Amino acid sequence: MTTRPLPAVASLADDLPTWLPAQRWFAAKGRDVSTVQVERAAVLWEGADPGAPSLLHALVDADGERYQLLLGVVEEVPEHLRGATVGRLEDGSFAYDATHDAELMGGLLELFATRSAAGGVDWLPEPGVEIHPGLRARPIGVEQSNTSIVFGEHYILKVYRRPVPGESRDVELHRALAGAGSTRVAAPVAVMRTEDTVLGFAQRFLGDAAEGWATATASVRDLLAEADLHAGEVGGDFAGEAHRLGAAVAEVHAALATALGTEPVGPAEMMAGADEMHARLDAAVREVPALAEHEPVLRAAFDAVRGLPGTTVQQVHGDLHLGQVLRTTTGWVLIDFEGEPDAPPAERVRARSPLRDVAGMLRSFDYAALHLLAGEEPDHQRLTRAAEWADRNRSAFCDGYATVGPDPRLDAVLLRAFELDKAVYEVGYEHRNRPDWVPIPLAAISRVAAAG
Amino acid sequence: MTVQDTTAPDAALGLAGIPHTGEGVTADGHLTEPQAEDFHHARSAPPQTEWYKSAVFYEVLVRAFNDSDGNGTGDLRGLADKLDYLQWLGIDCLWLPPFYASPLRDGGYDISDFRAVLPEFGTVDDFSYLLDQAHKRGIRVITDLVLNHTSDAHPWFQESRQHPDGPYGDYYVWSDTDEAYADARIIFVDTETSNWTYDPVRGQFYWHRFFSHQPDLNYENPEVQDAMLDVLRFWLDIGIDGFRLDAVPYLFEEEGTNCENLPRTHEFLKRCRKVVDDEFPGRVLLAEANQWPADVVEYFGDPAIGGDECHMAFHFPLMPRIFMAVRRESRFPISEILAHTPSIPSGAQWGIFLRNHDELTLEMVTDEERDYMYAEYAKDPRMKANIGIRRRLAPLLDNDRNQQELFTALLLSLPGSPVLYYGDEIGMGDNIWLGDRDAVRTPMQWSPDRNAGFSRCDPGRLYLPAIADPVYGFQAVNVEAHMNNTSSLLHWTRRMLQVRTEHPAFGLGDFTELGSSNPSVLAYLRRHGDDVVICVNNLSRFPQPVELHLSEYDGYVPVELTGGVRFPAIGELPYLLTLPGHGFYWFQITRPHEEGELQ
Repeated sequence: MTTRPLPAVASLADDLPTWLPAQRWFAAKGRDVSTVQVERAAVLWEGADPGAPSLLHALVDADGERYQLLLGVVEEVPEHLRGATVGRLEDGSFAYDATHDAELMGGLLELFATRSAAGGVDWLPEPGVEIHPGLRARPIGVEQSNTSIVFGEHYILKVYRRPVPGESRDVELHRALAGAGSTRVAAPVAVMRTEDTVLGFAQRFLGDAAEGWATATASVRDLLAEADLHAGEVGGDFAGEAHRLGAAVAEVHAALATALGTEPVGPAEMMAGADEMHARLDAAVREVPALAEHEPVLRAAFDAVRGLPGTTVQQVHGDLHLGQVLRTTTGWVLIDFEGEPDAPPAERVRARSPLRDVAGMLRSFDYAALHLLAGEEPDHQRLTRAAEWADRNRSAFCDGYATVGPDPRLDAVLLRAFELDKAVYEVGYEHRNRPDWVPIPLAAISRVAAAG
Repeated sequence: MTVQDTTAPDAALGLAGIPHTGEGVTADGHLTEPQAEDFHHARSAPPQTEWYKSAVFYEVLVRAFNDSDGNGTGDLRGLADKLDYLQWLGIDCLWLPPFYASPLRDGGYDISDFRAVLPEFGTVDDFSYLLDQAHKRGIRVITDLVLNHTSDAHPWFQESRQHPDGPYGDYYVWSDTDEAYADARIIFVDTETSNWTYDPVRGQFYWHRFFSHQPDLNYENPEVQDAMLDVLRFWLDIGIDGFRLDAVPYLFEEEGTNCENLPRTHEFLKRCRKVVDDEFPGRVLLAEANQWPADVVEYFGDPAIGGDECHMAFHFPLMPRIFMAVRRESRFPISEILAHTPSIPSGAQWGIFLRNHDELTLEMVTDEERDYMYAEYAKDPRMKANIGIRRRLAPLLDNDRNQQELFTALLLSLPGSPVLYYGDEIGMGDNIWLGDRDAVRTPMQWSPDRNAGFSRCDPGRLYLPAIADPVYGFQAVNVEAHMNNTSSLLHWTRRMLQVRTEHPAFGLGDFTELGSSNPSVLAYLRRHGDDVVICVNNLSRFPQPVELHLSEYDGYVPVELTGGVRFPAIGELPYLLTLPGHGFYWFQITRPHEEGELQ
């Protein structure tokens, strides 16, 4: 089969429509796949021994969505990889998701180290970076839209599952930040790409890191176990971390502004921005009737933006929340600069107000504070404590931000509109995915309404 | 001519009939000083040069441990009588704060005679006896030596102020004005307004970095350097195993500098080290420099030759960070400080501690790089309240046994030689009503008997009352009770010390933090040759899971060190452990074939 990779993968056409929707990174969740077409397929390497797996690279089109696959092809799938089986090829051998196969993945480093062009894919280390092969690979689970492989304690390769033509915003922004000497990102080490599409991105692995969400929720857990103490009194106080996180985000904004520039936008753009927020609200209200009672407050907040003379926009993170930041022993690091996951590529690269990121993080503090209470009977005491935690850490974050950049609270109208816009989006998202969590963004909207 | 100045503190107070400095004067005006050969010499400790790298130290105040003569104050003979206990516990080296003759205006750090023992503690021969008995049990002894200054009661200072042209005239830093070295900060701002004090006897100002009753020695004077090296030799000859050199950054002064950590100070420390290496191999020098590790590391000397100044130095910032990490339920306060700790020369070792007689002061954390500590402490009323206040471990941890065990496990497994503070092994309490310094210096609690078994004297005569509160009082918390209960903290501590001794990785091994996605779990690997130990600590009060990436040890079997239980073999997948609140594990990673052999 391996001499004819394209028909080999094509022979999976019957299996892929059932296999793809079962993958975490499958885009059109809940929808069936009717047709899968193979866009390209190539052999990365042939198995050394008769029984050893070969590695195939493929891009397939499933009802108009493009997906990237790494397939191991072997006569018999080893037992520990049976669960990753995709299906059977025309010649009787089996294909499985190779990202689960630590041994096969370990070979990818060799491709980078030798600047290989295997499979018509360019495996390119970043300038000045020497890749050391021979490291043990391990796939890491739990990822939404991509698949990542860690090599030893050195590198992490993110395989974009839904690669789109054009340069990768993720790679470009990382390069800009690393080039500016920022220590707030994991240094880029290599990319895998075709002429027009970036397929994967390898970075320095931060083995000592813990996710921001996990560190913040550890603090909330500590608080809620002590219902009689205030957020500033319990041992697990997070305000110091939130302060440092605010400064780190401001540093990234400043570095992006210096490296890639800023531009002023005027009243016309503010009007257009307000219109977009209104439009998103229109859609959300149709979907979630519970939003209707808050509509006047929300409309007023968005209308207030219309009166603003303008603001400054630049490249920002675009999807900033506590899950996109890592605490390392040398401070906070931001990851995943792909931009808004649901936005089309052209939209993602648009310059935006840094306050978008700030608003995203402020909303995330709110989520962290309240996630333990989702789905339970409202308990005034616990809700009050959680709100205290959110307020304390939101302030600390802004204080920290203000030590490096402008105090985001000075732009109150815009920040408030962005936060509410985000909350409106969240209401829709939770309504579709986690109905128990709808009260979290709704409560935030109510709070803003009550505060006038 | 002996010192006869009625305004002078009596240097020889209580030393009548006991050999001391200044009993006589030589023809050229020098004071006669006791010599090592006038005293008994202790037998030698077992020959071993890098013992300090894997030793467990025990700080004990002579005054507080055991009173042999019933006068209400602990003494050297009393301490010697308790060596069997310390040997049973598994201590390798005692650290004694100063026991020299002193007017005791600064806890004995104001030394008035380097060659005499404070009479209430005993004599030089009593010290020699203690040393001999300790060495017999394989226990070493080090003590503090203050190089920077003396008490103003020291005969050298008395000579210096009265005879500017005599042999001691230049032993201290004298000046006609109080203007020199203006850039040197004042350390004790609460009590001192200047580093200069006017002496009406000599009619000049003298320099002092600490209290005005502690004049700084003049290290510009080669005779002073030689005299202090002879002080080292005096005690080393008798058999002492080393010194904690107090206040080392301040030996020299230089205009236009802050007079700290000057190159010539390092030169002198190299001279001290040379005396040890050439004349007394196997003895140890420990630097007391309350500074950031990146600065302290200078005191180990040249890394190219394994270090040529002090063998050891205290790692000060680790202790408050351990407390903060457990309070924050986050490993980062500890991870960060270890990541920022520079590597040290091959012959060097850190000393680490949870508690000692000195405590954290905000003074040491105000520097730029220390903002983190400052910010965290200042924000947290409870942490702030602990700054500058001396508390014992048990009360600091609300007498929570799980936390005491977790803290001790961290102390015994993080890189560095652990220093225990006397009484913490039985969870002794403190008495904050005694004031700052004395709160943690109360008598050791040996038994429920009169005076906690510390002294036979009338209770009113004790140097400090024994702890008698309902929780920590000696009726309940004492060595005898802990000995009789095999599940006591004392027995637990002893078992942990035994485990530590069996694994060279703890003392000699390298340190690799094992990152995990759980921010509340601190896991690290210690490795020395084939001895590989993994330590996993739950800093949270809630149970926690952790996945460790150990695939480098695929097929190896973790064996829990306190009980010897074999855990499931490590595989390709992350190794999953669950820990109870404030729980910890120590594992040895054993090769698969070792398992086969054992079966």
